[in-house]
Formats: sequence, C-alpha cells, structure tokens
Amino acid sequence: MAGYIIKRLLSAIPVLLGISIIVFVIMAMIPGDPATAILGSYATPENVEKLNRDLGLDQPMIQRYFIWLGNMLHGDFGRSFSLNRAVLDEVLERFNATLVLAGTAFVICSLLGVAAGVISAARQFGLADKLITFVVLLGISIPSFFLGMMMILIFAVDLRWFPVSGMWPIYGDRDFTALIRHLTLPAIALAVVAAGVIARLSRSAMLEVLRQDFIRTARAKGVHERSVIWRHALRAAMVTIIPVLGIQAGFVLSGAVYIEIVFQWPGVGRMLVDAILTRDILLVQGGVVIVAACYVMFNIVVDVAQSLLDPRIKT
Amino acid sequence: MSGFFKLLARNRLALGGLIVMVAVVLLSLLTPLLPLANPDVIDTANRFKLPLEGTALLGTDHLGRDLLSRLLWGTRLSLAVGFVAAAVAATLGATIGIVAGFYGGKTDNIIMRGVDMLMAFPYILLALAIVAALGPGLMNALIAVSAVNIPFFARNIRGVTVGIAHKEFVDAARLSGMGDLRIIATEVLPNVIPVIVIAISTTVGWMILETAGLSFLGLGSQPPQADLGSMLGEARSALITNPNTSIIPGAMILIIVMAINLLGDGVRDALDPRLKSGALSRPMPATRVDRKAPIPTASDDALLALRDLHTQFHVKGRVYKAVGGVDLSVRPGECLGIIGESGSGKSVTALSVMGLVASPPGVITGGAVYYQGQDLVGAPYETLRRLRGDSVAYIFQDPQATLHPLYTIGDQLIEAVRVHHPKGKAEARAHAIDLLKSVRIPNAEDRINSYPHELSGGMRQRVGIAMALANDPEVIIADEPTTALDVTVQAQILSLLDDLRRERGLAIIFITHDFGVVAQLCDRVAVMYAGRIVEEGPTEAILNTAAHPYTARLMACVPELGGGRRRLAAIPGLPPGVDQLGIGCAFADRCDKVQPACRAADIPLAPLRPGQKVRCIHPEPARPEAVA
Amino acid sequence: MTEALKLTGLSKSFPVGKRLFGPPKAMVRAVRPTSLVVDKGETLGIVGESGCGKTTLARMLVGLLAPTGGRIEIEGEPLNTTNPATFGRKIQYVFQDPISSLNPRKTIRQIMEAPLRHLHRMPKAARATRISEIFAAVNLREEFLERYPHEFSGGQAQRIGIARALAADARILILDEPVSALDVSVQAQVLNLLSDLKAKLGLTYLFISHDLAVVEAVSDRVAVLYFGSVVEIGPTDQVFAAPHHPYTKLLADSAPKVGRALKAPEARETELPNPLDPPQGCAFRARCPYAIPRCATEEPALEMQQAGVWAACHNPQ
Repeated sequence: MAGYIIKRLLSAIPVLLGISIIVFVIMAMIPGDPATAILGSYATPENVEKLNRDLGLDQPMIQRYFIWLGNMLHGDFGRSFSLNRAVLDEVLERFNATLVLAGTAFVICSLLGVAAGVISAARQFGLADKLITFVVLLGISIPSFFLGMMMILIFAVDLRWFPVSGMWPIYGDRDFTALIRHLTLPAIALAVVAAGVIARLSRSAMLEVLRQDFIRTARAKGVHERSVIWRHALRAAMVTIIPVLGIQAGFVLSGAVYIEIVFQWPGVGRMLVDAILTRDILLVQGGVVIVAACYVMFNIVVDVAQSLLDPRIKT
Repeated sequence: MSGFFKLLARNRLALGGLIVMVAVVLLSLLTPLLPLANPDVIDTANRFKLPLEGTALLGTDHLGRDLLSRLLWGTRLSLAVGFVAAAVAATLGATIGIVAGFYGGKTDNIIMRGVDMLMAFPYILLALAIVAALGPGLMNALIAVSAVNIPFFARNIRGVTVGIAHKEFVDAARLSGMGDLRIIATEVLPNVIPVIVIAISTTVGWMILETAGLSFLGLGSQPPQADLGSMLGEARSALITNPNTSIIPGAMILIIVMAINLLGDGVRDALDPRLKSGALSRPMPATRVDRKAPIPTASDDALLALRDLHTQFHVKGRVYKAVGGVDLSVRPGECLGIIGESGSGKSVTALSVMGLVASPPGVITGGAVYYQGQDLVGAPYETLRRLRGDSVAYIFQDPQATLHPLYTIGDQLIEAVRVHHPKGKAEARAHAIDLLKSVRIPNAEDRINSYPHELSGGMRQRVGIAMALANDPEVIIADEPTTALDVTVQAQILSLLDDLRRERGLAIIFITHDFGVVAQLCDRVAVMYAGRIVEEGPTEAILNTAAHPYTARLMACVPELGGGRRRLAAIPGLPPGVDQLGIGCAFADRCDKVQPACRAADIPLAPLRPGQKVRCIHPEPARPEAVA
Repeated sequence: MTEALKLTGLSKSFPVGKRLFGPPKAMVRAVRPTSLVVDKGETLGIVGESGCGKTTLARMLVGLLAPTGGRIEIEGEPLNTTNPATFGRKIQYVFQDPISSLNPRKTIRQIMEAPLRHLHRMPKAARATRISEIFAAVNLREEFLERYPHEFSGGQAQRIGIARALAADARILILDEPVSALDVSVQAQVLNLLSDLKAKLGLTYLFISHDLAVVEAVSDRVAVLYFGSVVEIGPTDQVFAAPHHPYTKLLADSAPKVGRALKAPEARETELPNPLDPPQGCAFRARCPYAIPRCATEEPALEMQQAGVWAACHNPQ
C-alpha cells in the first residue's frame, strides 16, 4: 500500500510539470509586450522594469519558464500588483475559505448523490425513482448561480432563516454556529448540480451492476435483498462511482467560483475573477497553479481510495 | 433513422423537450423579424418597470431596456454560442479520441497523457486562465468552453474506439485489403457516431450553462450586447429590490437546459443499443409470478417437483415462451440431467425453481414448483430467500462472473453460511476452510484470503461448488458448471461433483449441452427442445434407444473421439424461435418423419417404455439388442 | 504434394508492464519458436486449451499480429509480415465469434464486396456475379445480401464469414474455432460445408479448436499445443489412437465420452504454469506422471517417434 502511494505521488510530478507548462503557455498567448500586458493598468515604468528583471522577460521562452518554475519551487509566486501582496499568501488565505465551502458541498453531494442513485436504481420505475429522477433533472439543468440567487431571495430575504451573504457576521462572534449559518445556503446551492450528476451516474452504475451474474449468485445464496443492494451491488458500483466523485470534486471547485460571487464568499474563485477583470495576471497564474496542484493531490487520494476498494488494481 | 425518431417520439418526456427546443430555436431564429424594441436602447426614466407595467411586456431592466427584447436576443446568442462550442469540442475531441483509440500504443499513450493533464485542472480554472490570457469577450469565452470540453470528448470517444478497434470485424476489414483511413471511415466511424451524438446531446446543456456562467462573471459577452448569463449578472445587484429582472433570464436558462437534457436523454435511450432492447432494467429479488390457470397439485413424493411450469419473457409486446409446460422431479440422492441446445429453455427452467429468472422481462405464467410439498412459485419472498442456498443451492456457469470480484472467497463463503445459520465469525471461517478442503482446494487456509481474480478458472469453480455446499443443501442445481472450463479441468470438476453427491446423498439437477457429461454423471435425463421436454428417461435407455427423432439425430451430430475422419450427420434448419411457436410438434419442420398429424394438435409427453416418456407420435423403434 | 504454408521458427512475445519510454518490465512468450509445414489441400488441426497460444499463432499467419521472430512462407514465397493486405489474397481467416466479425452497420452485400473491391479491384457488375457464385457455394440465399448482421443466427453468420473469406479467393483458410460458438446440430452443418468447399475448391485449412473430437473429424494431421509450443504432431488417427506425449494422452482421456466411467484422469489438482515465471525444462513436467529427472533441466525438442509422428518428450509413451 505504502509503495502504491509513493508510486502515485511520483507519478504526480509529471502531471504537475504539465500543469505548469499549460499555464505558462496560455499566459504566453497574451498579445503584446508581456510585462505591460501582465501589469495591465499597473504598468508604470518602474513596475515594468522590475517585472522584466524578476521574470527574466528579456530572455527566451524556455528560460523564462524555468526561471518561473524555479521561483515557484522556492515558494515565490510573485506579487499581486492590485493587492500589493505576495501571491502565495493571498491565494492560501482565500483557498482556505474555498475549501470550507467546496469541502462541505462535496460531502453533501457525495452522500446525497450516491444515496439517491442507489435508491433510484433499487426502486427502478417506482415512485421514488421518478421523484428522484425529476429532482435530479432539475438540479443538473439549473445554473448554480441562479439557484443561489433564488435561495437568497427565498431563505435569506423572505424567510430570514439564513444570512444573505458573506462567510462571517460583520458584528458578533466568529464561532462555529455563525459559520454554519453562513455556510448552509452556499454549500447547498453548490452541491445541487454535482449531486444530480452523481445521482445519475450512481443510478446507472447500480443498474449495470445489478444485472451482473454475481448479484444473482448472492440472491441464490439467500442473501437479504437489503444486503444485496447496499453491500454487494453498491460496493461493486463504487468502482465506477469513485472516479466520478473525483471528477465531480473538480466541478464543485469550479462551481464555487459562481457561488462565491453570488454569496460574497471570500474564496479563491472570487479572487481569480477579480484578478482577471483587473488583469492582475500574476495573481491569476499563481492561483490557477496552486489550486490545480491541490486538485491533483486530491485525485491521488481518490486513486488510493479506489485501490483500497478494488483488489484487482495492482498495488 | 425513422426507427430512431419513432423511439424518440415514444418517449413522452423527450418529445416534450423536443417541442420546447423547437419552439425556442424557432423563436430565436425569428427574433430579428419580430416587432421588438431595440434591446440596447437605454431609457433610465423607465427603469425597473414590472411586467405589463408600461409598454414593455416583460418590464424593463436597471437601464430601462426592454426585457422581452433582451431576453429573446440573449437567448439567440446563448443558444448559438452553446451549440457552436459543443460542435467545436465534439469535432476536435472526437478526432483526437478516434486517433488515439484506433492507433493505440505510443500515439495513444502520449495523446492521453496530454488529455489527462488538461483534465487535472478543475475545468473552470482552465477556462479562466484562457479568458485571462485572451481577455474577456464572448468569442474568447466560447474558445475557453470548447477547449475545456475537448478532453472530455476525447477520453469518452477514445474508450469506445478502443473497443471497436479490437472487434473482429475490423480485423476482417484489414484482411479484405482495407487501409487504416478507410477502416476508420467505414468501419469505426459509423459505430462511433451514435456515441458522439449521445455525448453532444448530453453536454450541449452543460455548455450553455458554462458560457452563461462566464458571461455571468462578466468574462463573456460585453455590454451592451447581452446573453442570458450576462443579463443575470447585471441583474444580480438589484436581486433583492427587483427580483423579476433576475428571474426572467434565469428561468429561461433553466427551461432551455432542461428541455435539452430531456431531449438528450431521449436521444441516448433511442441510440444506445442496450437500452433499446429494454435490457437496462434491474432484475427484481424474485421472478414476477402471474399465474392465470389453476395451480397443479403436488402429485408424488419427490423432493423437488416441477409441475407444468411456464416461464415467459415479455419484451416489447412480444412473448417468448422460454419454458412452455415442463414437468420434472428429482428424488433424494438422484442426479437428473437436463440437456438441450441454446434457447431450449433448460437454464430458464433451472432458474425458475428459486425465482432467479431476471424479471423484468421474465414472468412465471403458470405451473408450480414443489419443494417437499411446498409451492415455491407462489411463496412469499422471505420463504424463498430462506430456502435459497440453504435447501436448494445453485452452481452457475462462468465462475469468473458469478463470484463477487471485490470480496475474498472466504468472505463470500462465510456470508453464505451466516445468512442462514447464525455462527460466530471464527466458527464460520473454520467451516469455510473445511468447505474449501472438501472441494480439494490445496492450501485452503491461505487460499481463503484470495480474491476470485487470483484463482484459475478451475479453482474458482471449486469455490462456486463449495459455496453451494455451504449449508448442506438437499438439492443442487448446476447450470452448465463446466462449459467455461478446459477439458482437463472439466474432468476434474465432474469427478469432484460425482464424489460429493455420493458422499452427501445430494440430489443434483445438472444442466448441460454435452451428451458425454450426461452419460458419465446422470441417472436420468430430460431432453429439451423449444421450451418443452421432448423425451425423458433413464440415461442409459435414452442414450441407447432414443425414442424422439430429435434426441436420436442430435446424438448423431455429436462428434466423438475415436470416430476418425468423417462426414457428420447434421440436422437441417434451425430451432424455431420461442416467440413464434405453432401448434403441434416444434421439431416438425426439421424432422424427416413428419406427418400431417404432427402439426395438427398438441402432442403430450407420453410413457413409451418403463421409465421412458416421449413427446412424439412416431417414436424411433427400439433397437433389438437394447430390448433384449 | 507441395507446401502451401511453411513456418520457420515463428514466435511471438508480448510485453508486460509497458512503460511510456524504455523497455517493458517483462516479456511473455505466447508462442515459442514454432516450425510447421502444411501441404496443399491438407487440413492441419491445431488443438490446445485456453492460453496455449493457438489464436496468437493463427493471427500471426494472416498478418494481424507481427511475429517477434521467424518466417512465414506461402507456396514457397516468403511473406512481408508487416502488411496485412499482402496476406489477404493468399490466406484468409474465419473468426470464432461469427456475429462480432461482421460490422453491425453494414449490409451483408457491403461486407462481401470489400475483399472484391480492395483486394481484386473488381468492377461492380463482376462483383455482383462473383457474390452470387459464392453465396450459392455456401448455401445462402441471395436475399440475405441486403440484410444486416443482427438478423442472422450464429450458424448463418458463420456461413457469411466463410463466404467473405472465399471472396478474397485465398487458397489457405485459417479457421479459428469456427464452430465452438455454435450448437451441435448447426456445428455439423458448418463442418460439412467446410469439407465440401475444400473438396470443390482445393483449399488448404488450418483448423484450430479445443475440441478433440471435432478436430479428429475434419483433420488429416493434428498438432497439439501446450504452453506456446507444439508438443506433438502427426496424422490425426495415429496421434489420438496412440499418443506419444503425456499431454496428448491427458487431453484424449479428459473428453467426456458416452460409455466411459467418470474418473479424473489426473490425480492431482493441477494448474497451468505461470507464463510470467515459466518453469525450467519441460512445461508439462509438474502435471506429468512420467516425468524423469531430465525433464526438469532440459526443454525437450520435437523428435520423430514413428513415421510422420513427432513429439517433444524425454520419456515418450
């Protein structure tokens, strides 16, 4: 097992390098003089000169990449000109808030999605199945930002159950209950789409598995139907569901950008959008690389979970 | 193609989606011709008018622009961008996927590593990075959304292409002298296109959402031009005071995407061949029972007796009479063979006993199965479950598919025991080891921790047998247990089964297509054809003096080692489909002794010689030496 | 008699544990260097159990797999082993699974036309005549030509597969388990058709099967494969009547037979050797009741046992 984890970690290195290359290449597509483009509205002559020096922008592409990569490996992602702050510090602080939001949403959508999918498959064509299918269809068709806005209107403005926006109260204690109150609406809004996708895939994975011969074997042994569904079938279906969960984690992280905007959540997504609109390219670059790297690490966790589940994967 | 539209139209939800989509697309095509206000004319005096208040039908936005006009123009833009993005992503992604999947090897490896890199980004990061580089704008958002979705298409299509590229018809095309490009164009592509269409139809909605999302963030369409996403984005600041300006474009996105998703599901269902046959439904815990005729009574003291059993498959208005009235019984310690060709109903008969026929589409439509005098067909599920594996156990054909791949064989054996007999874990485990030893698995103490994939086919089938023996059942039903095995392994398994039944006094129902196996193992044999028993009797009598012409001629077809090089006897024609059986003998069309009477009426299974019954009015004469 | 097909030292190894760059972790030898001669008009049966390399061997013979080593000669001419199209006109293949060897989205006519168009550049009218001739030869009705593969039963589909192979006008057919997916009553029809065609058209067959009785009924000579090597080869009646190699004997004794008492021919519960860790010496040694010390150290080579019969065994029976 330890060997497999080490192997997976090592295999992440080329992926991380690939990510840095892709980001570098995309950023190199920016037309015109790089320093001026990167600095955008902050392009004072001093800044341009400083950036040219820092990034070696007078050098050829390949060398610029390695200078940039070397700086990143030393924890230097450059400075944000719009915030006048080290990119790494800003991203890490913002990413924290995103993790709280996206993590909660991910847990919600995984549990709800898988459970709904299993029930839907076990009761195929029944009332529960039809109901779940309809809710799921609604969930995957509604834009998460629109859902978030509607939830604000109903639950925050009309019913006043939850605060309208933000992560913490402006006045009062920053304690756990305050966080939960602020987190509920955005986390649910964020979870809905992914839960829908997970439920659909879980349903079809379960239907696929329930037709397999080993399910008939379990029934021929006299295993209780509950155990056939939740033990035999679900375990086998998880082999297809877990990679989907990994992909959906990326979608939750992506959806967080919209939800952070709608709910004024101080996360990394909102930071990125602001950075793009102010053309704070270094902040975009650093934010993208750091978040993508975290996502790669998360996918390693998914792979390890998969190998624990499926003995056929060589460890 | 017309079949596709028929299937699509039959799906009412998909039809609804289609109608909505046609309406929306028509509306957006006609938008320039409609008498609408200019969507970009600002009239701050009339801002935030409610629907029907003033001249604007849907009211006005924060700058006093006509909402209806903006909505229709926005819809037009959103749809166009979504469809173009989908088309671009599908074309590029599918090309990459087909090339990688078809050529395989290094090409595949390098392309797929690249795709994996792109998929290592949460998709919006990549889109944001692209927009950041190219600058905000609808065209750039379109490029970003297409680019981000290419890897999804590529990976999906590659998987399908790999499957097709390894099909034998591609090999055959090569041997017909076709080159790679021609094979891709005429063999691979026609089989991949349905998958591409499914992928497009299920992602178009998603693409519309994504472009709307980028516009919502202010990174897509730039003012004054507006698509649905940017309308929502602009309305957001007035969400609390003037919610209608948000609700109108939001609801429009919801309606469009929902219609597309419904339509997409319909397209998928109509194109996916597995869904087409209605196959993707899960079997219920026990076969559905729908008996119309009176239930036959238990007649003798057999351990297990099937009485006039009818099992049918109802698929799309067609009725397949897989089992059309079967009477069988087995006594303690007896081995009964059921022999027949594929489609004869022998496996369905066996599975009907414990209600294991997949349902839907299977239905037991008549007859009874008596186990120790109790009718199992009508029994409640819990009764059936208690007997399954405890009194009547099964051994199935393919040991690779019939064992759960993710549990150790020990866990599966222990479960089989504990579900019927509450025992401690340690005790059950000791019992499981004993079971493995009894089926002669070497190193049972170690092997108990193995997973099925770690065992050879023969060893897996031994585990299957051990599982059947777990609770000392009275009857074992073995459904072609050696068909998937090599002959040398088959010989080992058959001899094991024979020893076990003698040691334990088991009753066995053994289903096979192999006369050699029947001859070696079974006391009695029943021959099935087109869902019915055509002949039944002691094995030796049937093998020596087969009375039904089908039995006699089938045995003559079987080549046997030691016969030398020769021409084999064959039966012309094919067995009849069980969905179109006529009156009278099902074998009549292939029989060389057929008389008009054979087709006139139903022919009963009648006693012929002591112990031997035959469903034929012109049975084969007994050979003189067999009578003597 | 002349040679239709000659293999010299033909072998195939598959890499295991591929890497993006650099050599693979290990090689599995699916077919060990094999030399065989098939005479014109002969049927050579090849028998063996799953994993013995019989399908790998067959696919190399038609160019669907590139051999790792060795040579293939057809009618005295060495073949360029890299391009399947050069094989098409000389040697054809009939697949095990008749349905999956027909493209589900093409009509039977389109399938039948492919070899005529691409291998023989035949014009349209000539193609139609030729297809009619072939269909008559395999007893198929011409109305089938406009239908799609899923409308046919296994036996009919296999006739279509045979018809396609005939359309290429090759003199040699590789028949890879052509009847194992069929029921016995249909199996006999297809086997008889094959023997009629051979007599009428003077074809040469390589008939691969796991079923000894079927091989015996159709073959002039038989080669027994075990673990990637030919262990015994000779005239069919002699090989099965008096096997020299213990594995051939085991195969012959294992086939269930009416009128023979049921007993396991092997006392031990044995398994095939692990291809990733092949045994030293004779691969059959662990299962062999006649093994002698030499078997553990030295791999046996094919040696003539009697006129025309060769076996690879240190202690032949």
